Amino acid sequence: MNALDKESASPHGNRDAARPTNVLIVGVGGQGVLMVSKVLAALCQSEGFEVKQSEVHGMAKRGGSVFSHVRFGEQVWSPTIPRGEADIVVALEWAEGVRWLDHLKRDGGTFIADTQRIVPPISFRNRTRNAASAYAPETPAEVVALVGNGFALDATSMATGLGDRRVANTVLLGALSTVLPFAAEHWLAVIEQFVPAKTKDLNRRAFLAGRDWAVSAERVPAAAATDAVAQKVTARAIETAPAHLLTINEAWCKGCDICVKMCPERCLSLNARMVAELARPDACTACHLCEWLCPDFAIRIESAPAVKGAS
Amino acid sequence: MAAEGIDEFDIRDYLRTELLPHFMCPGCGHGIALRALLWAVHEERIAKDQLAIVTGIGCSGRVGGYIDANTFHVTHGRPLTFATGLALARPDLEVVVITGDGDCLAIGGNHLIHACRRNLRMTCLMLNNEIYGMTGGQVSPTTSEARLTTTTPYGNAEPTFDACGLAAAAGAGLVGRGMTLQTVALKNLIREALAYRGFSFVEILSDCTEIFGRKNDLGSSPEMILRQKGSMRPDFYGNTVEHPFRPNNLTTGIIARNERPEYGDTYRSEVLAPHGHGGAAAGVSAPVE
Repeated sequence: MNALDKESASPHGNRDAARPTNVLIVGVGGQGVLMVSKVLAALCQSEGFEVKQSEVHGMAKRGGSVFSHVRFGEQVWSPTIPRGEADIVVALEWAEGVRWLDHLKRDGGTFIADTQRIVPPISFRNRTRNAASAYAPETPAEVVALVGNGFALDATSMATGLGDRRVANTVLLGALSTVLPFAAEHWLAVIEQFVPAKTKDLNRRAFLAGRDWAVSAERVPAAAATDAVAQKVTARAIETAPAHLLTINEAWCKGCDICVKMCPERCLSLNARMVAELARPDACTACHLCEWLCPDFAIRIESAPAVKGAS
Repeated sequence: MAAEGIDEFDIRDYLRTELLPHFMCPGCGHGIALRALLWAVHEERIAKDQLAIVTGIGCSGRVGGYIDANTFHVTHGRPLTFATGLALARPDLEVVVITGDGDCLAIGGNHLIHACRRNLRMTCLMLNNEIYGMTGGQVSPTTSEARLTTTTPYGNAEPTFDACGLAAAAGAGLVGRGMTLQTVALKNLIREALAYRGFSFVEILSDCTEIFGRKNDLGSSPEMILRQKGSMRPDFYGNTVEHPFRPNNLTTGIIARNERPEYGDTYRSEVLAPHGHGGAAAGVSAPVE
């Protein structure tokens, strides 16, 4: 089915003219959140709406949180979207989408998200080897079931398939175009104004790919790809077997306390005989600091035999 | 942890384990320095038979006894002189001198200057703990100002010696300084010193916890090793540290390089060869069975 033929029977098309349509676009720095919001704002303006846009991107650099509010209608007063009143949330990164879910309207809101995970370092607060990350545990299937109208697509993989992962934001624009009452040609015309000349064709194909996906997936929100992501999340939590072995030679330890105080995870302690012992083996990350700083060569950390074999 | 293609480092392979636990006090930095040396030897793939350790007198001198290699424990202040003869006679060996601040700068100060001047290939590790620990805690050339020792009961009034500055000025090929707190950086520094073709001098800041730390109220072993960070601070932080480990803001890493001819090569080509001794001495003499 050609996406361009599709009639714009969009859920956010016919509405109370007095109330603006709210679109919240979220992602992390470097993904093109602002490009998406600029395209949307310019398009709405060219369609004769009043548009207000506001964004926060200063702290983003690459990898930080970025969001942009776009409101359009006959008359728009405030530039920001109150919590729970976004008609559409477009998430270029999965955890950012989940983070902003509370801004989505409870009934009839549309959630469009890339299932690609960009895992921030803070997710690894538990530094034990093979520990599960603290990245958003919600699976795409769960979130899509939660919202009124959900699209969870692997836009980054689709964009990579088209030749450049940087057009993932255009893929999402394609998906967004199916829920707004504007013609596909108008979308493409505006996108071409904002992208570099030599990527016009690539962005066109990315837009149509996203639009095609949204049209075909409209009745099957939890697509096969999302199940694969869900499986990956569960698989991660299982590998927690220790990858190393810490041994303390009690005969050599003189109880100088250096390992106990220098351990970043506070795993070691001195026992009643003033000999170091591994009090919290689970917290040990095998960082080797105690081994290196032991003046008496009493501590040794070895890779576990299983890990040695694998590597 | 191991570098590519090398087995994981197990320090027990390089120690005379029957002698352990060693004689050093709890928390003594010399043990950490010894680990760094043996780790560097392992990563440089130096065979134990090719390693010759020469040590002087003092706590640092006794470190050599625990190394499972060719070790020489020689007279006070003279490890560099013994090592000079050894390195000239056996250029195939990796000669490493382990010495202390007193052994190297006071009793053996003259030998250090001339070893630096000759630039004969060997590695000199000076374990600087600011004190003569073994003889009961007398003041040494590197004891910081105002520190209490058994011979300076009212605080040390002598200025301290900058060993690295001395070695660089005397012409040592490679001069560096490391601290036991940064074991990996120290290991890498020693690796560079071992690989250097010429005289390399490494000063290692090490803690004397029992003799020096206790007398100067420097706290427990972990507090002392953490205080080493105080000596890493740049000048503009210097005044804010209340109890710096060393008040003289010592820099670490490679401090000086003097590209000069290696003395052994020069001696063989310009002294021995013209007099007909080239064949025996330029090559490697057979080890004594």
